[in-house]
Amino acid sequence: MNVPNEEGVLPKHTEKQISVSQSTFISHIRPRFLPESAINIVYTVCLGGLSFLSFIVLSVTGLLLMFHYQPGENTAFSSLLNLSSVIPYGALLRNWHYWAGQIMVITVSLHMVRVAWTHSYKPPKQLNWLVGIGLLLLTLIMDFSGYLLRGSQETGAAANVAVHIAELIPLVGSQIAQILFGRPSPLSGSTLMAYVWHCIGLPTIAFWLQFYHFWRIRRDGGVRPL
Amino acid sequence: MTRRLHYTRREILLRLSWVGVIVAGSATMGPLVQYLVNDEDGVRSSLVIFKKQLEEDSPWENVSSSRVWVKRDKAGIMALIATCTHLGCEVRYHPEKKQWECPCHGSIYDDDGNLMSGPAKKALQRVAVEAKQDGSLVIYTNKQVGSDERA
Repeated sequence: MNVPNEEGVLPKHTEKQISVSQSTFISHIRPRFLPESAINIVYTVCLGGLSFLSFIVLSVTGLLLMFHYQPGENTAFSSLLNLSSVIPYGALLRNWHYWAGQIMVITVSLHMVRVAWTHSYKPPKQLNWLVGIGLLLLTLIMDFSGYLLRGSQETGAAANVAVHIAELIPLVGSQIAQILFGRPSPLSGSTLMAYVWHCIGLPTIAFWLQFYHFWRIRRDGGVRPL
Repeated sequence: MTRRLHYTRREILLRLSWVGVIVAGSATMGPLVQYLVNDEDGVRSSLVIFKKQLEEDSPWENVSSSRVWVKRDKAGIMALIATCTHLGCEVRYHPEKKQWECPCHGSIYDDDGNLMSGPAKKALQRVAVEAKQDGSLVIYTNKQVGSDERA
């Protein structure tokens, strides 16, 4: 127990306490005991779990698509055509990735509705609601950047709208637009910048934020095991 | 050690699900390898080599695994790209009709690649050929030439 000593100072953590705090992540994800109300399926409708499942599917199919997809103004769309017509199972992977992405946007949105409906954003879960908003935004940005990577003509228009919006930010607007989207041509939104954000930057942030999200659910007395 | 004869339902279900995971996992391996080793989208050289001998006034001959066709007439050797000038499908050569036909939208070209009927609007593309000392041909697929150019 950490009891303050006579000077009112907490003693330093012992090694045992440190190792316990390191293992609490696991023990929160796979707890021994759960509140019975938390295993009621009607309460969550599995929407968070379905979103995480979509995320896993997107990670695996996305990694595989990276072996054949070539970002860039002149290469993206033709590599996409190759994937969906020439490469064995390329069309399957691409459709899988596309539909998992669409489903994730829907389940994440419905998950927000459910959390609001069951008042699960209220204390002590208010921080996790904010983390959830962050994850919603990440999901939407990943969906949009994935759309840009198609490299078709419409995505060129979409990328340029996004660039012009980002440039409205005072002082640093054009730099931010450059970091996020590169310089998309009017005919293709596929740039190296969008590719790196879509495949590495945003998913990495989303991955760690999700694990923090799940850990907080458990700490706040939530939902049944995965 | 004695053999266990009794398994709980949970143990059996657990083992069966592991069998399912392993079967499904190994069934995925074939497609996965096929997908990863495919290099049909790799960067190709614009140079194509043809090694067989061409007889004079023989029908067009295809250079294997490319869209390049070569032919020899009295004036020399010519090379043609069998890509439809409409939307880029691969056109098929019909030696009996002496015609090129596009399977996608039905454009027809005559033996020399000149347009006979649309929706294409241009003749099939001719590219530069170079005859080497040993009789092999080098075709420069990105170097467009006129239809009367010979090597």
